[in-house]
Amino acid sequence: MPELKFTQSQEMLRKAVREFVEKEVKPIAHRIDVENRFPADVFQKMGQLGFAGVFVPQTYGGAGLGQTERAIILEELARHAAGLAMALMTHHLGVEAILAYGTDEQKAKYLPDVATGKKISGLAVTEPTGGSDVAGQLANASRDNGHWVINGRKCFITNSSNAEVNIVTARTGEDAKGRPAFSAFIVESGMEGFSPGREEDKLGLRGSSTGDLLLNNCRVGEGSLLGGEGNGMRMALGLFTKIGRTGMAAIGLGIIRACLEEGVKFAKERVIYGKPLAKLQAIQFEIAQNRIEYEAARLMTYHSIGLKESGSGADAEIAAAKYFATEGAVRAAKRTMDLMGGYGVINEYPVGRYLRDALTTISCGGTSHIMQIIVAGQTLN
Amino acid sequence: MGELNLVVLVKPVPDPSCYDRIEIDPATGALLRQGMPAVLNPADKHALEEALVLKERFGGRVAMVSMAPGSASETLMEGLAMGADEACILSDRAFAGSDSLATSRVLSAGIRKIGPFDLVLAGNESADGGTAHVPSQVGELLGVAHLTNVIRMEVGPGGSVTARTRIENGYIEVRGSLPMVVGVRREINTPRYTSLMGVMAAQDKPIRVWGAEDLGVNAAEAGMEGSSMRPGRLSRPDYRRKGEILKGSHEETVRRIVAILRAEGVLG
Amino acid sequence: MPDRKRALWAVAEQTRGKLASVTPEVLGQARRLAAEAGGCEVAAILLGKDVGALAKDLLACGADKVFLVEDPALELYQNDTYGTVLHRLIRREQPEVVLFGATAVGEELAPTVAARLDTGLGAHCTSLALAPDGLLTMGVLGFGGRLHTEMFCPARRPQMASVKPGMFTPLPREEGKGKILREEASALLSGADIRLRTVRIVKEEPEGMPLEDADVIVAGGWGIGGKENWRLLTELARELSGATGCTRPALDEGWTDGEHTMIGTSGKTVQPKVYLGFGISGSPHHTVGIKDAGIIISINSDPRAPVFECSDYCVEADFRKILPLLLSEIRRAKVPA
Repeated sequence: MPELKFTQSQEMLRKAVREFVEKEVKPIAHRIDVENRFPADVFQKMGQLGFAGVFVPQTYGGAGLGQTERAIILEELARHAAGLAMALMTHHLGVEAILAYGTDEQKAKYLPDVATGKKISGLAVTEPTGGSDVAGQLANASRDNGHWVINGRKCFITNSSNAEVNIVTARTGEDAKGRPAFSAFIVESGMEGFSPGREEDKLGLRGSSTGDLLLNNCRVGEGSLLGGEGNGMRMALGLFTKIGRTGMAAIGLGIIRACLEEGVKFAKERVIYGKPLAKLQAIQFEIAQNRIEYEAARLMTYHSIGLKESGSGADAEIAAAKYFATEGAVRAAKRTMDLMGGYGVINEYPVGRYLRDALTTISCGGTSHIMQIIVAGQTLN
Repeated sequence: MGELNLVVLVKPVPDPSCYDRIEIDPATGALLRQGMPAVLNPADKHALEEALVLKERFGGRVAMVSMAPGSASETLMEGLAMGADEACILSDRAFAGSDSLATSRVLSAGIRKIGPFDLVLAGNESADGGTAHVPSQVGELLGVAHLTNVIRMEVGPGGSVTARTRIENGYIEVRGSLPMVVGVRREINTPRYTSLMGVMAAQDKPIRVWGAEDLGVNAAEAGMEGSSMRPGRLSRPDYRRKGEILKGSHEETVRRIVAILRAEGVLG
Repeated sequence: MPDRKRALWAVAEQTRGKLASVTPEVLGQARRLAAEAGGCEVAAILLGKDVGALAKDLLACGADKVFLVEDPALELYQNDTYGTVLHRLIRREQPEVVLFGATAVGEELAPTVAARLDTGLGAHCTSLALAPDGLLTMGVLGFGGRLHTEMFCPARRPQMASVKPGMFTPLPREEGKGKILREEASALLSGADIRLRTVRIVKEEPEGMPLEDADVIVAGGWGIGGKENWRLLTELARELSGATGCTRPALDEGWTDGEHTMIGTSGKTVQPKVYLGFGISGSPHHTVGIKDAGIIISINSDPRAPVFECSDYCVEADFRKILPLLLSEIRRAKVPA
């Protein structure tokens, strides 16, 4: 089996992204978290550099690259500002929905704006009654005179308050077996009957808005139906795997790397008993654990994405990577916090934010429980 | 005025953030540069940015020229990703040990080989050596007008140039016309970030490598043989002083400082 | 080198009738070198328009002889006119050594002339020595001040060097007993290809005492953290009738009065009686600029800051605690008993 290696252009890409992140994102990372403020100007810059439409073909204004490059971008971003990475990650869900399932008209209408980050996108599936239980959604849509009328309330939707192009799922009928059937709709902010609702005050991944979307007799044209009637569930699950979980794995990986690097820096600088902390074996074990966690998460993340890109289903591998990288991020953050002693719980240091961000990733894109069910399901079949 | 043929002189230098790791080999007295990754000289990025802005305005091509080992292609890719159209590496063992004038001879030969040019841009100085000689000397060797320390530059129709060069506590406003060689200071602009699209496009852009023979440069003109300057002893400057730690409370420390100031007669 | 006159030349720099501060420094060093080499002539070259009075100054600063080239064409500096005049004069007179101040002008003019003469040029030299056999040793710094290299120009002549301002001290002024030789500029410029035209030279004298003149310098670095805190530094400088300086990181953050207050390899070299540094880590880039200061007192909260090795007195404390106390103690000490 050949070694897992990035191409030269992927390494160049990583370097270019890192340079941007260190100059534009790192200096404001703390403030983004404290103020819970989405840095729209930075997102615009990211859009101009191709981050928002990384896997969109160049004909639509994207960078024409793939999921591996996307993961590199998310990892680099999450290394300093996981909340902002989350906003970009979620944006990609909407972008892929239109790219993969849109008609030519829909692609021509929406892709150029979302690929360049001019408009922000999001995916609205979750509801109070249907998060892990996706089929428990109650939002519904029915035809009325050449339009669709959608009613419902979505919650825990990232980019809720700043997405202009929302992909919303709703029940539109029943399938052959009498089970609820869902469809997806492109709902633009400002459309009649659609509005963002309350915003949540999250523990972590702050700087990306997460909240409700309210659909109150929201009227949209036939042209808003995305991917054909009744395909909503299949589309959503496909997006969760291809874009959602892979993105969360990359974000978890970025957080692990942040913990690793901050831990190493602290261990080298802090002097205790007359020597750098790094000389103590107990500390070395912690550093080693962080490193091992990082290596494993890195391989699982990029390997599972590579598998998916090459055509394999890779559902279990992706779920495993998401599970491992996000849970690993929580472990790495706690470990690094312990390593730093008193400094670990001073907010001037970022490790508290890493822990909060890591904890919050667990329930994004499917909880750890769901990930295990997916892995078990495939393993036992 | 038509399109511009732009040349940017670039130099890969050891990453400035690693300069604390510089060591001198105690046996040979030579510089040890092990493990220091190379980056594009920071000032050259500003020169490249200036060239890209001119290309966007007038059309044309931007060629990077660098006297460097062949392995420099990796560093030069960064410039291609920013938007340069091609890179020419002037690489030959015979060039090693060149002083600034010999380097300028090699660079001038490279520029001539590319073809007629309108403007040659360079970062004023490089982070490792920092002589700031190359823009003037390349200008002299090419027989064109040249300026160093440029902080602002405007190219008008017909190739007229108005530039500002930084001097201590002020500037000089100067007029000239293309073709010219211009050395720029970092304050002239803010280099653009590299986009993903730029990274992809860079993969297909040509990187040429030319040796002494390709350039028509003979041994007497370049390298150690072609250099008037010779390096001698290397050393690490020692600025150490007694380093007496003032102990005690903040109040006691402050009183001691004031006593020192009084003793030096600066308390006024 | 039997057919070269053993003359040391210093190219003087003036703007609008005022000598650059580096020129007396270069002349002072040229005199010292002349003595080191067993005695040779020191000449200054002065270009401009209506600058005759400065020629006397140059004699007072240590020149045995001044080549004065006055012409309307030389009123405003340009590398082609000045370069042509110097090139032709040097070719005619064949000095052993030609020194420039490494100012912005010198940075451009010296290599221009060196290229025309096809000779070597040591850049931003921080030390110079001249052997009796006429070989010049030029000390230059590289890698942000971390590496010192001795450079030589063994074969080509003249040996040329640009000298970092602030490195050398001028000689005390003496009534000049030398000669002033007027040169015909039009002859020196005839047939030359002049392609540039300097329109004007704008000088914006900054506020505050120049660092070079200050007996006390209060300097701040990255550790100061912001513009608010920076005001404490300027207050302290004012109390001590001194000047405020900074490091590059502080300059880049925009907390300071400007680039003219930056101390370091790419900034100023200073020699105050007392230097007080706050929140400065002590990178060689900066410390080379203060290496000849009288007393260096550094305040930094990091006990392992490299600056402490290069300081006479070290205070391991947060400047936020020390500065206000220091200010009040100084004010108290200045009140007559």
